[in-house]
Amino acid sequence: MSEPSEQSGLAISVHGLRKSFGAKQAVAGIDLEIAAGSFAGLVGPNGAGKTTSLSMMTGLLRPDGGQVIVHGLDVWADPAAAKAVMGVVPSEARLFDRLSGAELLEYAGRLRGIPVTEARARSAQLLDVLDLTADAKRLVADYSTGMRKKAALGCALIHNPPVLFLDEPLEGVDPVSADVIRRLLTRFVGSGSTVLFSSHVMETVELVCDHVSIIDQGRIVATGTTDQVRGGKTLQEAFIALVGSKATDEEDLSWLGSLSS
Amino acid sequence: MARLLVQLKLRLLTNALRSSRRAKVSFIVSTAFAALLAIGTFLLLAALRGGSAPVAQTASVFTVFAFGWLLVPLVSFGLDGTLDPAALALYPLRTRPLATGLLAASATGAWPLANVIGLLGVTIGVARGAAGVAVAILAVALEVLFCIALARLVTTGLAGLLRSRRGTDLAAFAVIPLFALYEGFAQVVPRLAAEGKITAATFADIDRWLRWLPPGIAVHAIHDVSTGHLGTGLTRLAVLVAIIVAIGWLWIRSLRHALVSVDVSTQAAAVRGRPLPFGRAGIRGTVAGRYLIYQRREPTSIVRWAIVAVVMVAASVSTIRTPAYHVALFISAVLAGGMLCLFNGNWVGLTGSAFTLEASALTSGRAVRAYVAGRNIALGIIAVPLAVILSFALAAFAGHPAAGFLALPIDLAAIGVGLALSSLYSVSLAYPAVKRVGSPIPNAADGHGSQAFLCAIGSLFGVPIVIAPVILAVNLTGSVPRAVRFPALLAFAVGYGLAAAWGAGRWAAALAVAKMPELNQVAISSRL
Repeated sequence: MSEPSEQSGLAISVHGLRKSFGAKQAVAGIDLEIAAGSFAGLVGPNGAGKTTSLSMMTGLLRPDGGQVIVHGLDVWADPAAAKAVMGVVPSEARLFDRLSGAELLEYAGRLRGIPVTEARARSAQLLDVLDLTADAKRLVADYSTGMRKKAALGCALIHNPPVLFLDEPLEGVDPVSADVIRRLLTRFVGSGSTVLFSSHVMETVELVCDHVSIIDQGRIVATGTTDQVRGGKTLQEAFIALVGSKATDEEDLSWLGSLSS
Repeated sequence: MARLLVQLKLRLLTNALRSSRRAKVSFIVSTAFAALLAIGTFLLLAALRGGSAPVAQTASVFTVFAFGWLLVPLVSFGLDGTLDPAALALYPLRTRPLATGLLAASATGAWPLANVIGLLGVTIGVARGAAGVAVAILAVALEVLFCIALARLVTTGLAGLLRSRRGTDLAAFAVIPLFALYEGFAQVVPRLAAEGKITAATFADIDRWLRWLPPGIAVHAIHDVSTGHLGTGLTRLAVLVAIIVAIGWLWIRSLRHALVSVDVSTQAAAVRGRPLPFGRAGIRGTVAGRYLIYQRREPTSIVRWAIVAVVMVAASVSTIRTPAYHVALFISAVLAGGMLCLFNGNWVGLTGSAFTLEASALTSGRAVRAYVAGRNIALGIIAVPLAVILSFALAAFAGHPAAGFLALPIDLAAIGVGLALSSLYSVSLAYPAVKRVGSPIPNAADGHGSQAFLCAIGSLFGVPIVIAPVILAVNLTGSVPRAVRFPALLAFAVGYGLAAAWGAGRWAAALAVAKMPELNQVAISSRL
């Protein structure tokens, strides 16, 4: 039997997804379709609902309504089966700080049912690609932000999931580590897997994504290929045009600057 | 600078007070305790007047206060923003005014004030005459100054370390002696005092050492002046001032260094490159391996096991050498399971956000059952030998080593039931845990105190209730020959404990599968 995703060509399909926290509606019924093999970006200002949406798509937060299909599996009808086909890197790397980097990746692999020798081999290879081999025996508690992000990415990739979700994967990461992550993700997508990542760094999204969705106040305000969403402008300009920018009154800062008295 | 830093300290205190209802309650409780300490210490020191060894007893109290100043900042580093010089390193401040300001900030607040008021009880307890009272006031001021300078020297010297992972790890261990001291005072001192074993001679012996330490010097100076030895008294005070100046000088040097350096002790730290244990035992072994590593590497876990041991010993210490020694042994054994349950009755919250990594891999009910079993195995591997060794040690201390064989079944059943109940509580009462600044042990997040309370009550009362059949079996089989009784009780207890842990584990796993998203949210909300 062929995979349902192969039948539809969609890796991620979201319909009417919504979530409220008390009176505040965090996600107001979003629809999203990401084709298999896409490198998709979900962008939006702070508090737009990116993390809440990704949490619901990955089975971490129960939605108030809507449907999420990942690789042909309904996430909320069978969360366990859906989790087996996805990898998740949350915005705040949720790792076991008291394991070393090597132990952490081996642990993640073994939890996924990978045989122990294979888990160790994959762990070593991922640490190498992620430029963490020299720090493999150090506790994750002593890792920098960038190293933690890379370790979290390793944990999410060790079982070779067809779909990978990343929430702000490059936040607080230095340019060298960011480049390592970008290259690994590009290679991952090149093999036919799908990546959906949230960010508010437009340059990065524009550089790597072939599909972009813009979310604002819990709603998708634009979605399509990167070129469609940009509409001949830079993504930054298109984004500002869609979600607006706060005008500032600079009169009050007349004292600021070297030439001011 | 001093005024500004005192204002900063007061602002930090008032902001903390406004931050939440919990903070308000903590502040009120803390201030009430400070007031009690002030009044209690004042009355205690004043009541020593006319006693058999007022100087020696007062010197003990002064020394205890100095140790308090030394230890408490290690545990509460981070609670007081003025304790960390790095927070002020960005500003163009010279070291001496900064040092004066930090000293003044340290002296600001309810607890320093309570110290001064309490210790002034010495003006009644030891001081005689106007000169004696005047010197007593001066000596109390110097004692408090000494305490503050000493605490500052230690915290500044360790500031870089205390900001690091290794430093906070080490600070967590300070809880163990503090808890043991508390239990010792709560369990041992009242009994020794009631039996008349704490006498003036006890304090006189201690004072032979304490009189050479700064707190003892301060008290003896008051006594000297009060008994007409003005020169000796003033000489002692001069020595005390010299010690404070020396500590102050060392502190300023340390402060200069701390402002421009960081702790690098963990930069080169590495663990042994051995693979995770139980490599061929599936998810059960994988989880057990991770849990075992955490029990060894995470200071909070070590602190918890140490507290289990302290509680087991402290609960039995008052009756272990009496004819009711077997009761002490049984209580101690039951508490092993009760405390195990209490400390592990929230594994999702206590694992924290990293649990989501595990949850993402638990893709079947069988996997969740294996997870719970792995956790139980790891905890059992530590709990069983710990409880058994302590039970036999206590039995030997009681003078009845064979009684350890009667405590053993209760130990094992209590541990099994402790694991069983903690598995169920972890799923049904799951709550986010928060490691607040200054506290090495995580507590329930705001708004979740009731779940933590239910878990505590359910642990301490649930374990003895559920293992009642084993306790009854131990008590009702006294007439059975030992050769039959001991193995039969052991087999019954092991079977009982294993059945409880296994059955409850399966039940907890079924519950967990149904509420995995909620458990994930609990884990994500935890701040450890």
